[in-house]
Amino acid sequence: MADLQYIRNFSIIAHIDHGKSTLADRLLERTGTISKREMREQFLDDMDLEREMGITIKANRATVKHVHNGREHMLNLIDTPGHVDFHYEVSRAMAACEGVLLLVDATQGVQAQTVANAYLAVEANLDIILVINKIDLPSAHPDEVALEVEQILGLAAEDAVYTSAKTGEGLEKLLDAICEKIPPPRGRLDARLRALIYDAKPDPHRGVISHIRVVDGAVKRGDKIRMMAAGREHIVTEVGKYTPKPTTLNTLGAGEVGYLVAGIKTIADVNIGDTITIAQNPAEDQLPGYEPPSQMVFCDFYPGPGTETADLREAMERLWLNDSSFTYDPATSDALGIGFRCGFLGLLHMKIIQERLERESDVNLVQTAPTVTYEIALNDETVVHIQSPSEMPDPSRITEIREPFCTANVIIPAEYIGALMSLALDRRGVHKKTEYLSPTRVMITYEFPLGEIIYDFYDKLKSCTRGYGTVDYEVSEFRGGQLVKMDVLVNGIAVDALSVIVHRDKAARRGRNLITRLKKEIARHMFEIPLQAAIGAKVIARETIKAYRKNVTAKCYGGDVSRKRKLLEKQKEGKKRMKNVGNVEIPQEAFMSILDPGD
Amino acid sequence: MVRDDADQLPVEAAWWRDTASTCGLYVHVPFCETKCGYCDFYSVPLLEGRETGPLVRCVVSELRSRKRSASGAIRTIFVGGGTPTLLPLGDLRCLFDALGEVASGGEVSEFTVEANPATIDDAKLSVLTGAGVDRLSMGAQSWSVDELAQLERLHSPDDIAPGVLMARRHGIRRINLDLIFGIPGQTLASWSNSLDRTIALCVDHISCYGLTYEAGTRLTAQMGAGRVTRCDEELEADMYTHAIDRLAAAGYEQYEISNFARLGERCAHNVAYWRNDPYIGVGPSAAGYLNGERYKNVADIGRYVAGIEERGEAVLTRERVSGVALAGETIMMQLRQMEGLNVGRFTRQTGIDALSALAPELSRFSESGLLTVDRERIALTRAGFLVADGIISELYAALGESGRGDGSAGGGRAIR
Repeated sequence: MADLQYIRNFSIIAHIDHGKSTLADRLLERTGTISKREMREQFLDDMDLEREMGITIKANRATVKHVHNGREHMLNLIDTPGHVDFHYEVSRAMAACEGVLLLVDATQGVQAQTVANAYLAVEANLDIILVINKIDLPSAHPDEVALEVEQILGLAAEDAVYTSAKTGEGLEKLLDAICEKIPPPRGRLDARLRALIYDAKPDPHRGVISHIRVVDGAVKRGDKIRMMAAGREHIVTEVGKYTPKPTTLNTLGAGEVGYLVAGIKTIADVNIGDTITIAQNPAEDQLPGYEPPSQMVFCDFYPGPGTETADLREAMERLWLNDSSFTYDPATSDALGIGFRCGFLGLLHMKIIQERLERESDVNLVQTAPTVTYEIALNDETVVHIQSPSEMPDPSRITEIREPFCTANVIIPAEYIGALMSLALDRRGVHKKTEYLSPTRVMITYEFPLGEIIYDFYDKLKSCTRGYGTVDYEVSEFRGGQLVKMDVLVNGIAVDALSVIVHRDKAARRGRNLITRLKKEIARHMFEIPLQAAIGAKVIARETIKAYRKNVTAKCYGGDVSRKRKLLEKQKEGKKRMKNVGNVEIPQEAFMSILDPGD
Repeated sequence: MVRDDADQLPVEAAWWRDTASTCGLYVHVPFCETKCGYCDFYSVPLLEGRETGPLVRCVVSELRSRKRSASGAIRTIFVGGGTPTLLPLGDLRCLFDALGEVASGGEVSEFTVEANPATIDDAKLSVLTGAGVDRLSMGAQSWSVDELAQLERLHSPDDIAPGVLMARRHGIRRINLDLIFGIPGQTLASWSNSLDRTIALCVDHISCYGLTYEAGTRLTAQMGAGRVTRCDEELEADMYTHAIDRLAAAGYEQYEISNFARLGERCAHNVAYWRNDPYIGVGPSAAGYLNGERYKNVADIGRYVAGIEERGEAVLTRERVSGVALAGETIMMQLRQMEGLNVGRFTRQTGIDALSALAPELSRFSESGLLTVDRERIALTRAGFLVADGIISELYAALGESGRGDGSAGGGRAIR
């Protein structure tokens, strides 16, 4: 069993694209953990989607060896995602560490997720090594970037380690810094076993593989273990480490990070954050666990053409067993039929789940526009939470509608302050403070209604700051507001999947934009189609799709009747891809048109 | 209303009675001078030195063998293409000698040939009339130089009247002129002018086709690339209703979506198609319908010639149409005619009671003034004609819903 003194557990945290996965790859290669021949880009990102999108979604892990001061050290690296949607993965990974590398791009400087992740590390009481990366690039200005970090986070600029993950420059120094500055794990090998499950993944052959950090004691093959919160007991069939390939060991002891296999069939049987102990000789107290991830964004998935509700259910169940970070519950829509209301950590998470469903299970989805949770106070003094405007109780029962707010840190070059101010105003942002990172860059803190920023705020921020702006947010609380439910009537019939909850002051503009978009998405029919946006009985916007005046093929193709019939059949197939509401065919795109705030 | 005396007959016998008494003959001659941008019929440009003889001999050979196997007597002949009159005189004579044999039996009541105004001369017309041709269908298309250029037609407006007069001098009394509306750049005034000039020639039949953007044509590609702007839908509708009114005032009755005729001058050959009557098709890409089976010849001269020479036929696809597919075709073709769909005959042909199977749609469309429905007949109104495709495809889709199309499920069955 390894001597704790020579073990270091650490994560790398960074803003997206600051070179985290490349640095991890280089460390593995440098320490000879994997050969050049085995090397492939983003070794730790083992999901296809991760490699394709160039991002890390799930936290990954590996153990590398480094000789420092003549002694071999075992460095346990836990790679983390950089995107705001996956904060909870970052916090989980951190719970298994004593220190982090805070990686900052020497050409781009401090960005919103740099700050957010650094705060997480400070909260978790971890030691932070500041790493300024990409110093090989001509536009790198590492000294200024180090000063920015000092300014905003209070980490001494002079302690920063300069690296180039691309050329390998500074890596040796970095490995030494890890050994020197990150403390060894404190754990009592002779105490009763306590190991934290910080992640888990299913394996088709061995059952669930739990990723654990052993805090006290040791665990070995053959041990009968107990999950302290769940109360379930299992026999350990394998323990080991990732080097980064899974390598079986006899024992995992206090301070070590590794994996454990114990004949657990489905991932639903493993609670992330649970504490493992030995069944016959259990520890007294559990380790502090995790808050379960909370779903921020909701949308409905309905079966699309060629897919049955049963197929979709099966696909969702299968994916959920692999990744339980999203939720799904049955949902019914007058317009779209029977499907599922799903909850996600954020919009990227939603897109990833949708993509994985379609890819891994070959189902076709019709998706409604994403929305946030609203809290509705009723006049019988109860409170309900709704995840879809269609669940809104009758207005006569409502005393207040509350929406989730978030605190957002936006980092931009100072010259774009004006542009950001007007964007924030448009999104009902409340300015809290402005801090200068350097004479030319600022971090501005706002409070926003979450619903105003989940969809396209990031894109709008990018376009009004020439690509330089970044944002990170954390959801804070529900607040009451002048919110109303706006319904959309197509040919006089309210279409539930098109309803939206909006601020009263913005309702008229949103209504007009929505109706204009819808008019473009819905084709002419044989009759005139009125489109209306309404709050209660009051119509606030109206448009009409004119009936088509001429829709007739001139020729019947001489005697080639079959050909003409096949054209008709094709038209018929086209119709199947649309949803029919009150004789009006509504294409899938129309259901997303409510997202466009139209500015 | 004419009483349909077949009402009392059992289904099988009535079917025979409805369809087998007549048979049409269509001959496809796949040559033209140049391929027009909008055209998607099978044809190839007739280049200098290109041999048409082998193709004509194969067409004649297919004609003879198919005629032997056809059940009913041939009542109508239609020679189309391409431009049949483009054939060199010798090959033209070879083809029309064979057709003349068919016509000489005295049972043929209509014998039409398609022609372009600039491709006929006295010698060729003599060949046609010698074989018994009594009707000429000419692609006038437009009386505007610019519009003819847009359509890539090679003739000029000045060729139209002389063509008609020449045909008349040869004793061809029945003449159809094709016109096209909805041409990019066309105005209502120029369309009105084309109609008036055509009416002034006192032809007995006029076809008005809205320009169609067929998949795979040069015109459609040009539109996709933004080089051609499609005619505005409102303007096109105005052109269409103007034609209906103008032609009605001049004594032309609209008897189908695109076809107008003086009393008694409807094109019997086309009417037979729309009635689901059987017909023989010969030549590359020609379609035929015999004994409940549709077939289509290969649309390639080389493969067609090889097929005829080696096996005596050049069929690419065969399909036995029944159930919902047959009902759909029937609705499609019969609703396009002014007479509309004969409810009794539809039931005998398809086994489906249209009035009950389509009840919700029929009542919806008649309430909105697009259809007239009574116990014997379902027909489009004038407003319905404008949106016929929408109505037909909804009726067809409704038939496809489970339990509504007699349960004999299904579509045409591909035989090969």
